[in-house]
Amino acid sequence: MILNSKIKNYLNQTQDSSSLALFRIGFGVLMTFGMIRFLTKGWVEKLYLEPSFHFSFYGFEWIKPIGDLTYLLFFICTISALFIALGYKYRISIIIFFLSFTYIELMDKTTYLNHYYFISILSFLMIFLPANAYYSLDSRNRGFEFKKIPKWCTDCIKMLLFIVYFYSGIAKINSDWLLEAQPLKIWLTSSYDLPIIGSTLMQQNWVHYGMSWGGMFYDLLIAFLLLYSRTRIIAFCLVIFFHVFTAILFPIGMFPYIMIVGSLIFFESQTHYRMIKKIDLLVKFFGLKDKKKSIISTKSNKNPFVLAIVTIFFVIQLSFPFRYLLYPGELFWNEQGYRFSWRVMLMEKKGITNLKVLNKNNGKSFIVMNDKFLSEFQERQMSFQPDFILEYAHHVGEYYKKNGLKEIEIYADSYVTLNGRLSQRFIDPKVNLLDVERGFKHKKWVLALDDEITGL
Amino acid sequence: MKNLNKFLSIAILSVILISCSSSSDDDPSAIPEFDRSAVLVNYADNIIIPRLNNFKSAVEYLKESADAFVNSPDLTSYTELHNSWLEAYINWQYVEMFNIGKAEEIMFFSKSNTYPVNEGRIQENINNQKTDLSNPNDWSCQGFPGLDYMIHGLASSEEEIINQYIQYPANGEYLKVVAHELNKNTDLVINDWSTYRNTFVASVENTATSAFNMLTNDFVYYFEKGLRTNKIGIPSGVFSNNPLSNKVEAYYSSKNGIEDVSRDLIENALNAVNLVFQGKSTNQSPVGPSFKTYLDYIKTNNVSVEDIGSIVVNKIETANQKILSLDKNFINQIDNDNTKMLGTFDALQTIVVNLKTDMLSLFNVAVDYTDADGD
Repeated sequence: MILNSKIKNYLNQTQDSSSLALFRIGFGVLMTFGMIRFLTKGWVEKLYLEPSFHFSFYGFEWIKPIGDLTYLLFFICTISALFIALGYKYRISIIIFFLSFTYIELMDKTTYLNHYYFISILSFLMIFLPANAYYSLDSRNRGFEFKKIPKWCTDCIKMLLFIVYFYSGIAKINSDWLLEAQPLKIWLTSSYDLPIIGSTLMQQNWVHYGMSWGGMFYDLLIAFLLLYSRTRIIAFCLVIFFHVFTAILFPIGMFPYIMIVGSLIFFESQTHYRMIKKIDLLVKFFGLKDKKKSIISTKSNKNPFVLAIVTIFFVIQLSFPFRYLLYPGELFWNEQGYRFSWRVMLMEKKGITNLKVLNKNNGKSFIVMNDKFLSEFQERQMSFQPDFILEYAHHVGEYYKKNGLKEIEIYADSYVTLNGRLSQRFIDPKVNLLDVERGFKHKKWVLALDDEITGL
Repeated sequence: MKNLNKFLSIAILSVILISCSSSSDDDPSAIPEFDRSAVLVNYADNIIIPRLNNFKSAVEYLKESADAFVNSPDLTSYTELHNSWLEAYINWQYVEMFNIGKAEEIMFFSKSNTYPVNEGRIQENINNQKTDLSNPNDWSCQGFPGLDYMIHGLASSEEEIINQYIQYPANGEYLKVVAHELNKNTDLVINDWSTYRNTFVASVENTATSAFNMLTNDFVYYFEKGLRTNKIGIPSGVFSNNPLSNKVEAYYSSKNGIEDVSRDLIENALNAVNLVFQGKSTNQSPVGPSFKTYLDYIKTNNVSVEDIGSIVVNKIETANQKILSLDKNFINQIDNDNTKMLGTFDALQTIVVNLKTDMLSLFNVAVDYTDADGD
């Protein structure tokens, strides 16, 4: 009963609506910019239109690039992001953004990045938030805006950011990261071309260890430091320092800026309010006049359906990254339960994988030239990830069966190096991959790593 | 603008970092910086440019021999032509891997050593008295394989071949076109190095387009494709249902019993790769700044890393022994005992594994694609 009333009490708490409005604007602007950046780099052509084959997430094989219409998809996604920034037809815009962005990410597994996944689930969550309550074209058009929104609506964004940071911190508690300073040692040493620090600091052992341990503590603690008002300013400075630094060191695109802007949500709403007023000055400078709006006190949102979805969403988010515990074997090697778990920058992994096609009718075999089926980027990703190798083998199998080789078996000749270890054989060369079904079952046909990585 | 931003932010960050670590200068565990430019200087001055110069003289001699043979086709001038072709082809094995700068721009590698040749198209070119060989379809009609066909493949014995030139002057004209084209391309590449050299040795950044990274990628690519796949893999049938002995390098010279050179060519190619890997200008010189010394440096910086440099050097020696055990005539080797060819392929493949996974991983060579997972 007490718990029940506590929950009720929490759901009744409110918060100034400017916080969520500012977050919406930041999100929309960054996404618009991100999509345009993707388009202007020619990646649609290179990643989605040029390759003849695309790697799919299991169960999502029906999601493929749609020829030249793929550009339309990117265009729709960009426009919806812009509408989100403007707060124009917000609900339908965020739904379209979520669907189009997620579709794009599911078209080819080769391009998977954790921060794309982050955008997908964040935009899903935002479908249920009244982010257009304040300072939006929607509120301008309907003639009134809400001064207050439920507190849970901003708390759930903080919660998601907390999960991203904290879980990626947990993932760093392993022997490679903390005891060997890998893979940072390889990556920092090879950043020798940075001005000033490249040939000095980046080559030092203590820097590799310092950055490994520092990175772990940063990820584990930063959300707490942002939550606590007395450490918030210094924490935000850390956020900027950390992400700018990683942006210089690694080719990680939009991610650092998304996290910096996202972290603003932890500030007090007066700060958000003042920032919106600044944005408003800019808007007015460009001659846009504000319409008179009446203020209505609270946009309440206690729809049990919405609350149930958000609750289930977080139960999944909190538990899903631990699904790797259901699999035996080394997580970094087998990658069973590796994705969608905020495991970032943990592995320097490279492989070489060739498929051998055995014709059972005459006992003859040949090796497949990878460039016949895959782009360079796809070949690189395929070469060290078991689910890619299996899917590739099945694709090649179907190709040769269609071309008249009915009775064939396919074997992988595969070697992988992980975090500076000497490369070793990766896939059991005696397993016919056409006999193996795709799916979430334990991949027994991946040979064990000759070493142990301990940790969470 | 972008670089300025990068520079400023690093400057600020490094002031913070350095001020947090005042006493690091006399840290005994500090490791001296590896000088990548020294590797490029060694490669350019002691390996690439001298090798190109040797190649250039050989090609010049080949061109002169071709002219002399066409002028008076007889057994003496024919033998001279064959010898100069072989000499140049062996020298070619030492430069094929440097697909960088002008060589990359003019597709030197494709124009000089695409095989098997397109016999039909060569015959058309002869009949049409074609002189412009810039069309990509003509890559398989020129260079050393094209000359192999013209010098050894027009008939099945030396006398008959010489006769082909006496009877049909068009053959001689095409032979000269191919020899002069090769000489012209070689001039373009070697002349460019007089200016490119300084750009080359300074281009050590870790970007997709820096000379250091391109040379590294070219080296690995050549080992996998030009050496392993083309010389052994394709003819021994690794990538097809059946062995294809007509796809060996220098096919016509072996086929018509002029001289068996396929093995000599790959033996030299592997030696060329070995010298580059160890940074030696000749087999007698000491190990110089090179991929190997870079791997050794990374190892001193990182005790858990294996000695990739020595592993590769040992495996190259093993592969060399396999090559020396082959018949000098690869057509015979493939037709009579292909398992030895396949064994050689495997010996080369295990080196490719180390170069492509271990070495590229430790060098962390930047590749063309872009956004990675970040935190």
